[in-house]
Amino acid sequence: MTAATDTRRAGGPDDAVSGVVPREVVRPATVDQVAEVLRAAAADGRTVVPVGGRSKLTWAAAPESCDLLLDLTGLDRVVEHVAGDLTVVAEAGVRLADLQAQVGRAGQLLGLDPPEDGATLGGVVSANASGPRRLRYGTTRDLLIGITVVLADGTVAHAGGKVVKNVAGYDLGKLFTGAHGTLGAVVSTTWRLHPVPPARRVVTLELPDAAAAGPLSIALARSTLTPSAVELIGRADGSARLVVLFESIAESVAGQARSAVALLGGGEESEDLPEDFGRRPGGADDVLLRLAYAPAALSSALGALPAGTAVAAHAATGVSYAAVPAGEAVDALPRLRAAIAPHDGTAVVLRAPDAVRDRLDHWGPVGDSLDLMRRVKERFDPERRMSPGRFVGGL
Amino acid sequence: MTEITPGSHGQGDAPPPGSPGASPNVGPVRDSVADLPPGSPTGAARATDEAPSAVVGARRPLDIGQDIDLPPGTGAATVGTPTLLGLPQTRQVVQPAFDEHHPPDPALIGDCVHCGFCLPTCPTYVLWGEEMDSPRGRIYLMKEALEGEPLDESMVRHFDQCLGCMACVTACPSGVQYDKLIEATRPQIERRYTRSRAEKLYRDLIYNLFPYPKRLRALRGPLRAYQASRLGSLLTRAGLMRKLPAPLQAMESLAPKLGPVERVPERTPAVGQRRAVVGLLAGCVQGTFFPDVNAATVRVLAAEGCDVIVPRSQGCCGALPGHGGREEQALDFAKRTIETFERAGVDYVVVNAAGCGSNIKEYGHQLRDEPEWAARAEALAERSRDISEFIVELGPVAERHPLPMTVAYQDACHLAHAQGIREEPRKVLRGIPGIELKAIAEAELCCGSAGTYNMLQPEPARELGERKAAAVLATGADLMVTANPGCWMQVATTLARMGKRMPVAHTVQVLDASIRGVPVEDLLERALNGPGTALARTSAAAR
Amino acid sequence: MTAIAEPALSDRTATLADRLRSAVGTERVLTDRTQVRTYECDGLANFKVTPAIVVLAESRQHVVDTVRLCSEAGVPFVARGSGTGLSGGALPSADGVLLVLSRLRRLSPVDADNRQVTVEPGVINLWVTRDAAPHDLAYAPDPSSQLVCSIGGNVAENAGGAHCLKYGFTVNHVLGAEVVLPDDEVVHLGGRAPEHPGYDLLGAFIGSEGTLGVATELTLRLIRVPEAVQTMLVGYHSVEDAAGTVSDIIAAGIVPAAVEMMDALAIQAAEAAVSCGYPEGAVAVLVIELDGPQVEVEAQFRQVEEIARARNAFETRIAADDAERALMWKGRKSAFAAVGRISPSYFVQDGVIPRTKLPEVLAEIDRMADEKGLRVANVFHAGDGNLHPLVLFDDAVEGQAHEAEELAGAILELCVTSGGSITGEHGVGSEKRMKMAKQFTPEDLDTMQLLRCAFDPAGIANPGKVFPTPRLCGERPGVRKGEHPVQAAGLGEVF
Repeated sequence: MTAATDTRRAGGPDDAVSGVVPREVVRPATVDQVAEVLRAAAADGRTVVPVGGRSKLTWAAAPESCDLLLDLTGLDRVVEHVAGDLTVVAEAGVRLADLQAQVGRAGQLLGLDPPEDGATLGGVVSANASGPRRLRYGTTRDLLIGITVVLADGTVAHAGGKVVKNVAGYDLGKLFTGAHGTLGAVVSTTWRLHPVPPARRVVTLELPDAAAAGPLSIALARSTLTPSAVELIGRADGSARLVVLFESIAESVAGQARSAVALLGGGEESEDLPEDFGRRPGGADDVLLRLAYAPAALSSALGALPAGTAVAAHAATGVSYAAVPAGEAVDALPRLRAAIAPHDGTAVVLRAPDAVRDRLDHWGPVGDSLDLMRRVKERFDPERRMSPGRFVGGL
Repeated sequence: MTEITPGSHGQGDAPPPGSPGASPNVGPVRDSVADLPPGSPTGAARATDEAPSAVVGARRPLDIGQDIDLPPGTGAATVGTPTLLGLPQTRQVVQPAFDEHHPPDPALIGDCVHCGFCLPTCPTYVLWGEEMDSPRGRIYLMKEALEGEPLDESMVRHFDQCLGCMACVTACPSGVQYDKLIEATRPQIERRYTRSRAEKLYRDLIYNLFPYPKRLRALRGPLRAYQASRLGSLLTRAGLMRKLPAPLQAMESLAPKLGPVERVPERTPAVGQRRAVVGLLAGCVQGTFFPDVNAATVRVLAAEGCDVIVPRSQGCCGALPGHGGREEQALDFAKRTIETFERAGVDYVVVNAAGCGSNIKEYGHQLRDEPEWAARAEALAERSRDISEFIVELGPVAERHPLPMTVAYQDACHLAHAQGIREEPRKVLRGIPGIELKAIAEAELCCGSAGTYNMLQPEPARELGERKAAAVLATGADLMVTANPGCWMQVATTLARMGKRMPVAHTVQVLDASIRGVPVEDLLERALNGPGTALARTSAAAR
Repeated sequence: MTAIAEPALSDRTATLADRLRSAVGTERVLTDRTQVRTYECDGLANFKVTPAIVVLAESRQHVVDTVRLCSEAGVPFVARGSGTGLSGGALPSADGVLLVLSRLRRLSPVDADNRQVTVEPGVINLWVTRDAAPHDLAYAPDPSSQLVCSIGGNVAENAGGAHCLKYGFTVNHVLGAEVVLPDDEVVHLGGRAPEHPGYDLLGAFIGSEGTLGVATELTLRLIRVPEAVQTMLVGYHSVEDAAGTVSDIIAAGIVPAAVEMMDALAIQAAEAAVSCGYPEGAVAVLVIELDGPQVEVEAQFRQVEEIARARNAFETRIAADDAERALMWKGRKSAFAAVGRISPSYFVQDGVIPRTKLPEVLAEIDRMADEKGLRVANVFHAGDGNLHPLVLFDDAVEGQAHEAEELAGAILELCVTSGGSITGEHGVGSEKRMKMAKQFTPEDLDTMQLLRCAFDPAGIANPGKVFPTPRLCGERPGVRKGEHPVQAAGLGEVF
């Protein structure tokens, strides 16, 4: 097959993976071509970093080396959308936005809404990216029902299937979710879809500070209301806003919004989402962190962040994003990790400016399963050629 | 080897091996998982679970026990086991496990699809969480036995440990007749397996005492004197009670407070227009220890328009020995009971003790082999009714006076599971103005009384009793109501041991009080302190 | 003189039994033949293997000790909870140890603010919801055996249930697990937080059918009890209409909490068992449940009623209270075991098809059953296409069991060729491992083995399950260095 080799080109600064410029970039168009590329790389002992829409190319730790950037955007086919089954099979290079547009025409959606522009399905899976509606739909691990991967040696393997309910064999989809390309390349994905809710209602409440959202989010979670998202947007100046999104039939969202206003002790109702809804906080000069902790510890987690940190919290779920000013991040990160540890809290660095990237422990402590993770990595990629060093514990 | 040495673990003078004591792990315990003690200790060791590593055995005809009638061809053997002391310990092995006289029916065993729905309703499984002490496991043991595995100590123990509460029968979606299966197994054990001398003696004592109202009544005198003299609490305080073998302690602690016998007339005419002629089974334990219940039953039936006949010649219905696998004795009692009530010329036989009622309803099955009895047995069974069932069927005529109180109705296993009577007693109680019923948690779980079980297996019975008593207390009800003397004694004595008190009454006593217009305070007072209630021994609580 | 033969333990297992007794206590180690035989099968009673040793663990330490001693001795172990699995997942290994976890049944207090609870693996599924109920919380996965099956078993099988159409499976409701790996190392996967850095080994562990280790503690996610629940029972004169109703509900954008379907034979069995009062003369019934905010449930309920009517439903019954709702469910939940009342024996199958293929697959199953002269009762989670055909047969009829087994197998293959799966919730276990090759390529299965080898290089955790051939953890297929310990021990073979 020459198609794959035809698309080869030398890597440039724009291709840099967390600062590491690949020697070569290859853009295969089929699963077979991906397998061919990886077999060849195995023969040559070359390191490979799979990449999709590049929206998170600067996320995670820098790879130890990157001989080959495996650009999967050529795998861009929506293979099969069966509206009656609420399932869709799509290749890894399909952009999430494009997939949403396509299934949306049948009144359906994929319940993932990470905000990164241009994100592809393979990248969303590999980075386990999610957004505000994870409260309602869950994350990749809850929605991905089948997967095709190509291993470091070129083996093409499938797991799961096209049906929502299936417990045959190990769920490799879970294993590859959030693995950051260290076990192989995700080439095709099968998803469970949901119907698009016909109506929407938004309740917005301005808060004196972000920590005030803690008790409110617990109260919402313990109520019978079924919001799609409860977002806390905390600005660098300390002001904050709670946004509660209801999506269902018109009667339901109207009633629920009214109940939410009563429960929260105030708030504005509207049809439209505020502009900053679901965005990651901060800018390119900040260190972007993802915090995860037992959900009721929202206030504690936010309280452990340095002043001047902008946050966007999926308030009822136990996941928050924080933009710590780069100058403070190196010192603040260990303190933050220690403070949230009692709540089973962890903080990972998603993105950091070049200046501080190498001074940060991107993943932090992993716990007593790190050795096991290492053994998994050794089995799947014994020569450490897939995205080496990008993941936890230097995997 | 010419002599069979009984198992060395002297059942009868110690808690039976294989009944772990109060383990901190039993049941769904709620505590902080962080505090879980590693390797938390459980009860009695199970030395007998060890497999013998040396095999010295012999097969020879069984020749023991004057009351054991063995069919020819029965084999038994002993298997030597090295003990800690290095002395040979012998283990009794009976093979084949079952003889040809009504072994458990393979077709009934085949009905079990091994789904496990019975497990959480089985008291011993709830206590110990092991397969052999669950209905599914016991059916499996029967199957093993039919396939050629021998009847040995461990198998016998697991069958003995079954309470026969029949909660599994209720739970089973496949309709497995576990009642028939265990009832077929117990006589096999009694016929073919030689129990230790101490245990045999103890069982003989039970089965020669309880089914005989006269002997029981004879015991009343000394017991009353004993209770009146406070000798019991004296003995308990002196620690002497603890020196008695556990089962005897059990017997002693279960004896309820006795009042003067309230004589029930042989014939009581209906009040107003006669609607039926009804015979009352007086019961052995009921009649002796709870005479008030029979008196109340007679009054209620008369008030509802029944001529009530309580034949003087009646004895035990056979439930107690039947439950213990003493088939001959049970069938003799059954025949006598049939004759007695046939002679009495009654339309119905009303029973107020759940265990007796379920037994009488099984007469047809029990006497199926005897042509001259089968039809008569079936006929009597068909005319038998539990008192609550009968009252509901008849429909009320007597006026009910209000009894404003909350009632925790405790389902007797032999009423709820064996006879399927759950709604009727509740209906009787709800028919009384002012009564509010409170549900008891784990209602399907046996209280541990189970006929003679609390005497034969005191340890698990005690644990189950405590579980039930706690559940009853948790309802906060003013009165516990039950329809079986066994449950009554079990829960009341357990409460007493826990240092708690709660009024207890039979369903029919509550109805009687309502019909007679007894004030609720008087009913509760009598249910707390009257005859039949447990003697609260504070020292016993410390045991 | 006849010697009574006691079970002959091999020297290796006899030594292991002694060591286990010292480690966990004599009373928790069973080797008595009649006792261990009661453990020779789980809920799939036609697969039987007598274990050499049964350990009744009561603490994590007992599990660690047992696994350590097994690992040292190279003896396989199989973990078992309530023994209700329907694929023979807890079938013991001959000459191996059966590690019974039903005494590990403690629950920590419910953490209502975090909507979580931590439990031991022997805890019965329904106890979780019972403990959560006072906080208006519930544990969503509700397999039909929920009143007896254990959480540990649910995790091993990734159990589903009637309500997973809306709420997902066990894997979506387990936040953390403490796991004893086959080399006795204790690891914590996941935790109380929704995400953790590193591979999602928890996700991979759940549903691994006991082949990756033994969970000793599990942190479960609880859901808020919905404001309203409405259940309806709908009777049809044709299976096609019932199946069509399901499709139409989904097409209308409604995600019910549950949509269950039973055919005439299954209805007959359930009636015999629990007198659930299903509509008389129904060829198919649907049990449809909607939950959520009151207004939403009411509006959607009306919509569903209209859809059902348009699909020729002849009777629609709405549960007026919890008791009626419970009765509707009772018929469905006891249906498997209830079939025992209308047939001496039966195979329960568990296949999945894309929901849209329902009518054609059911018709094909009918045709296949007719061809064999056998009856097939259908009970299934129609909402997610999870079929449970029950193939009825009579042991007493020569050859019928074999015919029934063939039919059950053919039905599974039909599921795979229809784009589905050989198991939706019962697991592969012992029963369906040979069918794995129908659904997966050798490369797929080899890749799954990589995961297994990372967890259990010696292959001692529940060997012989899930995968068609015992596989050794060599470097790569075909490249092996010397004899593997498992092979040396006679436990595995090279293929």
